[in-house]
Amino acid sequence: MSAALLLRLSVEDFLYQEAALLDDWKLREWLALFSPSARYEIAPTGDPDAGTLSSADALFLVADDRERLEQRVIRLQKPQAHAEYPHSRVRHVYSNVRILKDTGAQIEVNSNFVTFRNKRGITATYMGWHRYLLSRSEDSYLIDLKRTVLDLDGLVPQGKVSLLL
Amino acid sequence: MAAIIQAPQSYRSRYLWLDRERGRFLVHRSAYTSPEIFEEERRRILHRSWIVLGHESEVPNKGDFVVRQVVDRELIFNRDVEGNVNAFFNSCRHRGAAICREPRGNRTRFVCPYHGWAYKSSGELFNQHSTFGYGERFNEGGFYNLTRVARIDKRAGFYFVNFDPNAIPLDEYLQDAGPMLDAIADQSAVGMEVVRGCHEYEIKANYKLICENSYDGYHLDITHSSFVDYMRTMVRGVPVSEMNIRGIAKSLGNGHACFELEIPTGRPVAQWLPVWGEEARVEIEAKKKELEGRLGKVKADRISVTNRNMVIFPNSIINDQQTVLLRTVTPTAHNRMIIRAWSIGPKDEGPVLRRIRNEGALSFLGPGGFATPDDVEMLELCQRGFENSDIEWNDISKGFRRDENTLHDYDDHYDNELQMRAYWFRWNEIMSAPEPRG
Repeated sequence: MSAALLLRLSVEDFLYQEAALLDDWKLREWLALFSPSARYEIAPTGDPDAGTLSSADALFLVADDRERLEQRVIRLQKPQAHAEYPHSRVRHVYSNVRILKDTGAQIEVNSNFVTFRNKRGITATYMGWHRYLLSRSEDSYLIDLKRTVLDLDGLVPQGKVSLLL
Repeated sequence: MAAIIQAPQSYRSRYLWLDRERGRFLVHRSAYTSPEIFEEERRRILHRSWIVLGHESEVPNKGDFVVRQVVDRELIFNRDVEGNVNAFFNSCRHRGAAICREPRGNRTRFVCPYHGWAYKSSGELFNQHSTFGYGERFNEGGFYNLTRVARIDKRAGFYFVNFDPNAIPLDEYLQDAGPMLDAIADQSAVGMEVVRGCHEYEIKANYKLICENSYDGYHLDITHSSFVDYMRTMVRGVPVSEMNIRGIAKSLGNGHACFELEIPTGRPVAQWLPVWGEEARVEIEAKKKELEGRLGKVKADRISVTNRNMVIFPNSIINDQQTVLLRTVTPTAHNRMIIRAWSIGPKDEGPVLRRIRNEGALSFLGPGGFATPDDVEMLELCQRGFENSDIEWNDISKGFRRDENTLHDYDDHYDNELQMRAYWFRWNEIMSAPEPRG
């Protein structure tokens, strides 16, 4: 197999593992996949340039540095995070994984996704794409950036992003 | 008009029950659950009130436009080539198609995609894409020009519309909410601007529930206890003596109300948090100095440290805290609404504070924040509770005094419920009045 194919397969394995942790609400383990200077962002809906906007210039849905991401994880494990108590059922489906760039130090990856959330008889669908910046770490990867761009004009009818996409 | 419910009398209508002897203020739950009452509200209140349309900074240049929902109407909000700001119904005068399909942009003309009727940015019909079939006088008197919303006016940079041609002037309507808007405009000498990006989300609940929730001080440390935990980590470095929340509630007349809080959670204009770092401190101190020089110390202090959540009756919401958040509320049914929210900051804000504004606002506000999703959850639980039970009345009595003049009053406790009573008092007054004919 070509080196490019092997790289993609190992990145896919990593991303599927990441998705599995989210599906199981194993958020502490999920957080451990992020590097100390990582960012987790969900870009504004309804903006054609959402993929390239910066949270310095625009109102995002989520723009967490590592510290706030950790606080988000802590919060989501409390019963007082009412929208997610009890936790909703979620299923993250990743596909169309592409390696965009490999500088050696960092790999740039795109993935399409569909995430389903079910609670109290209502199923919400979130679709879009993730951009990852991954750095190599021993025999695996660490996430330096996970940026989510939703293919949605707005959160109608989803109402909120109380889960992690 | 309000004579029948002046203090200290008790009162009961189909919607409202004031028992001053027992300190009870009750709202009938049908006001949240009845499709018929919602229809009546649309006719009596929503189509006859001044409702926020947007901010002048959204259409800074000639030709700029945005398409915007106001209640059940879709409007084109634009600045025409003459520089005038307009609000047109987004519907061709020929056969009705929505002529503007992009959410925003810049156009000197609007052309209907169906038969090609073409309008200038001022709304004037100038071409029907046809060489025959229409006489010279067809558009005499501008008969076929784009239809304007009956009334449009502005206060402190915020544009409002009213579908009622006989509505009272905006400034008169706003009463004491007007100076509150002025104080927001005062945050910058060169004007405020809407930041790119909109929070749009649906809540499966009656629209009045988000109004009640927006200035409800009572729910803060229960619903948002997990946010309070987070804030404790963010305010490290702030002396414990400054940590207690002080605040008041005010009814501002005509159903408008707000609470004002002094709480050290940081404001880009102009209250620094140690976790924001030195660079931000220097910018915030400069901003504070600029405010003091321009407005005087008293006004500058007030703008710098006071957070303020206000509802302009019936559905325009402004939260002035980690940012100035403008929320519009579009009811789509008696138990459904769409919220759209924009962040507003000074035009001359530097990149360090702008980032703090954008990211700080998200920690609490918005559908991905640490607080708003739980509000959405609570409102949906309320709607569910209304619809799943036979209980008739809701209670909003906290702090209800025998002598309370609900339409224009003041409460030393931000976490009493005067704000909501002001809203319902006005709502009941309109809904219980004999309906005007025609």
